[in-house]
Amino acid sequence: MFCLSEMEDTVRVPPDLLKLPLEVAIKKVLQKLLLNKVLSIGLCVTIYDIKSAEGGFVLPGDGPATYKVRFRIVVFRPFVGEVIAARFKESDSNGLRLTLGFFEDIYVPAPLIPRPNRCEPDPYNRSQMRWVWIFEEQEYIIDHSCQINFRVENISYPPVPTEQAEDAKPFAPMVITGTIDDDGLGPVSWWEGCSERNNEDDDT
Amino acid sequence: MKNIIVKANAGALTNFEVLDLLNSRGASKDTTRVIASETVSRSEYKVYDYLMETAASTQTRESVTKFSDKCKDFKLAKAEILNIINLRPSSDVELTPILEKPDEREIDIEGILALVQELLPPLPTVEAQKENEQEETENDEQS
Repeated sequence: MFCLSEMEDTVRVPPDLLKLPLEVAIKKVLQKLLLNKVLSIGLCVTIYDIKSAEGGFVLPGDGPATYKVRFRIVVFRPFVGEVIAARFKESDSNGLRLTLGFFEDIYVPAPLIPRPNRCEPDPYNRSQMRWVWIFEEQEYIIDHSCQINFRVENISYPPVPTEQAEDAKPFAPMVITGTIDDDGLGPVSWWEGCSERNNEDDDT
Repeated sequence: MKNIIVKANAGALTNFEVLDLLNSRGASKDTTRVIASETVSRSEYKVYDYLMETAASTQTRESVTKFSDKCKDFKLAKAEILNIINLRPSSDVELTPILEKPDEREIDIEGILALVQELLPPLPTVEAQKENEQEETENDEQS
């Protein structure tokens, strides 16, 4: 889910950082600009290294020193088809929302939850709906009790809205759509001990 | 900033490699997370916390490299090898969603699972995680 990306940019190092070693100062400026921000290539997690920095000119009327920097960052950008371990965050009539802690915009829409299922008001949390999978007359509730494995179906980068209603959800610049509708996906408790059952079937 | 992306994908990283990177910055050493905040930011700590609950937290560079090498015998795609390292499946049903069209490819599922069992350390235990959580709550009470 992580990869390196190489970038080049003009970095302005403010005068108060110039007492530090150059590489440290440039890293600080890059961190402030990029860390935890979504770029076209994914969510920037950390600065990996500085490959080169040239320049250091001070432009007239400007305090900071300007450098042309080539550097690498670690980005969070899963590939379609990747299976990722996540935790339950919340659910409503549209589907589930999962989280990784550092990234919380993972949605499993209703059609990608295994069927037959039902959606009912959550008895423990009146504002939420909860999803229940029904399989061989057993009911499997989807909640925060254990890790949930999902497979990436799609990643989208919605454009920044120009206007938003006051009560609208905060804008998510990167959204992952996942599925749990396959063997081995969904809450891990669903599949514990499953391989033993499979072996029994083979013997008969 | 006029970001110029020179290479959008300059190499995939396993969860282990990212965790190793954060550890080298001092993420693991400072439990109060105050001193290390010079080198590790809050958002980086969130990634660190996530990775510590996954297979990456018990892996070593040697085990991951050895596993990648041996995987070449199993005709797996690079992305699948990466996914297996990150998830450390221990059963057939955990491995199959990672593979693309396993039925059409004659993949030695048992062989791959045996290799995982042999070379990749087991997942962090729940007790170890609970200990970590207790440490964190104690720290919160102190501050």
